[in-house]
Amino acid sequence: MTQAATNLSGTSMSKSTSDLMVEMRGVNKWYGDFHVLRDIDFEVKRGERIVICGPSGSGKSTLIRCINHLEEHQQGDIVVGGVPLTQDVKRIEQIRRSVGMVFQHFNLFPHLTVLENCCIAPMWVQKKPRREAEEQAMRYLERVRIAEQAKKYPGQLSGGQQQRVAIARSLCMHPDVMLFDEPTSALDPEMIKEVLDVMVELAEEGMTMLCVTHEMGFAKTVADRVIFMDQGQIIEENAPEPFFNNPQSERTQLFLSQILGH
Amino acid sequence: MIHNQTMIDQRPAPSNTLGPMAWLRANLFSSPLNTLFTLVGLYILYLLVVPTIQWAFINADWIGTTRADCSREGACWVFVNARFTQFIYGLYPRSEIWRANIVFGGFFTLIAWLAIPRLPLKRWVAVFALVGFPVVAYVLLHGGYFDLPRVPTHRWGGLMLTLLLASVGMIGALPIGIVLALGRRSNMPIVKSFCVIFIEFWRGVPLITVLFMASVMLPLFLPSGISVDRLVRALIGLTLFQSAYMAEVIRGGLQAIPKGQEEAAAALGMTYWKRMGLIVLPQALKMMIPGIVNTFISLFKDTTLVMIIGLFDLLGIVQAALSDSNWLGFSLEGYVFAAFVFWIFCFSMSRYSQYLERKLNTGHKR
Repeated sequence: MTQAATNLSGTSMSKSTSDLMVEMRGVNKWYGDFHVLRDIDFEVKRGERIVICGPSGSGKSTLIRCINHLEEHQQGDIVVGGVPLTQDVKRIEQIRRSVGMVFQHFNLFPHLTVLENCCIAPMWVQKKPRREAEEQAMRYLERVRIAEQAKKYPGQLSGGQQQRVAIARSLCMHPDVMLFDEPTSALDPEMIKEVLDVMVELAEEGMTMLCVTHEMGFAKTVADRVIFMDQGQIIEENAPEPFFNNPQSERTQLFLSQILGH
Repeated sequence: MIHNQTMIDQRPAPSNTLGPMAWLRANLFSSPLNTLFTLVGLYILYLLVVPTIQWAFINADWIGTTRADCSREGACWVFVNARFTQFIYGLYPRSEIWRANIVFGGFFTLIAWLAIPRLPLKRWVAVFALVGFPVVAYVLLHGGYFDLPRVPTHRWGGLMLTLLLASVGMIGALPIGIVLALGRRSNMPIVKSFCVIFIEFWRGVPLITVLFMASVMLPLFLPSGISVDRLVRALIGLTLFQSAYMAEVIRGGLQAIPKGQEEAAAALGMTYWKRMGLIVLPQALKMMIPGIVNTFISLFKDTTLVMIIGLFDLLGIVQAALSDSNWLGFSLEGYVFAAFVFWIFCFSMSRYSQYLERKLNTGHKR
């Protein structure tokens, strides 16, 4: 890929084999006896932005963590970028290289500087030379407006800054799809905006995104579809405008009235 | 309501709260009872320290060659002086001591090189210290190559042997301990149970038993004609024994690393060994420096137990010298000397570990 393509997503010329980025068919998962995911069927097309919401414990995080096999599903099929997810470690690692993930608690590597956090995977997983990895990391750090902190350690940054670094770290691997697991839930209110701004830019550049969040403003602005989950099931799925203005199921109505009502 | 229209300038703290006098007043003489304790404490200290100094320095004999030179009532360092070569090199032949000296020199140079931050080429020096130097040291100490006369291992002894046992034990126990600790947390049942059994076996057996088994029992199991050097057997026993302790220290560190760290590394597509080697272990080892050094120090002191299988480490050779009929009655000097040498090494390790902790601290929790 040419380095001229310095848009945030870096997906400009990806190997497009299928229009479906993520496909889940009849996925079921249990934690011991507890049935966390029940008959999940859904798909994400390339370039789609999807927001998943629902009450806590409804299985939203588990769902997206199944996509890169941080959680194992017990039944059903998951296909990511045309590659079926199996037990095979090599294949799991191949899928993970093409799937970026941003965590609620950032999970930056505290023993490495911001720059090293962004270089370590390109250097050790993609075998990029150090200089190339660093140049690329600086470009992404600039895009998330944190380049001046490159030499600092994560512990010296605020929560919002750390989360932006985490986004840059993921982007450095040129993922085909980005998973966001409640990226703003651990942030102080005044820091949420700086992270959401970066995510909106990313969406506008055409990155495929799956985002578990309670930021309904974000969902209204950028989502192509909103998925509502409760008790391990997908209850409702719709474009944001009808989803918010005219929710079909009672549970969705109840949930929306609770989070938007006051 | 506005409290103060003008900004208040910074003022110096009251002078009676700063400086050594204020410290003394606050910590030693804050109340009558506290003052009493301080004075009693000082008096006890005086009773202990003054006679010690008189014995060890003021009334001590330093120069001479025989016990006749020890006339005064203080310590007789003449004994240590006369036996010094033996304490350092054991029964190593006098004519070949230059070989041991080269190894000593190389050993301390390498350690200093690795410990002093300003010196360059750390990586290559470390590789040489771990790969090249042991070979050089073996060839020099053991001989049998390049016209160097052979010096069998039962003639090695003293501080040289102590340092050899300790450094081989440390360099061996750390990586084996890391592998065992990772294995104990593995999802693979066979690997996991092997590591658990290994660790629990070695931790459950006294080191003396291990050394005895290595020296007495092991030859019984080996086919006749194959014999393993006694020093090598002791080294293997010591290393495996300490690696079990090391494994548990490191496992503690691994458990303290949040699960999110490994998940983030996995989400970036790293393989198991990269997740461990690049992300989890560097953090765990750094966090566990005090525990690792603690294990190192106890290993260093445990080397004295090789005495019971007939190897003469520093303490062993001091004890052997004490039974020399020319020098009967100087056991206190001998033990004080041995204790002092051990203390120097253990204290240096402890200080270095504190320095390392400060240096590697990147001011983070998460």
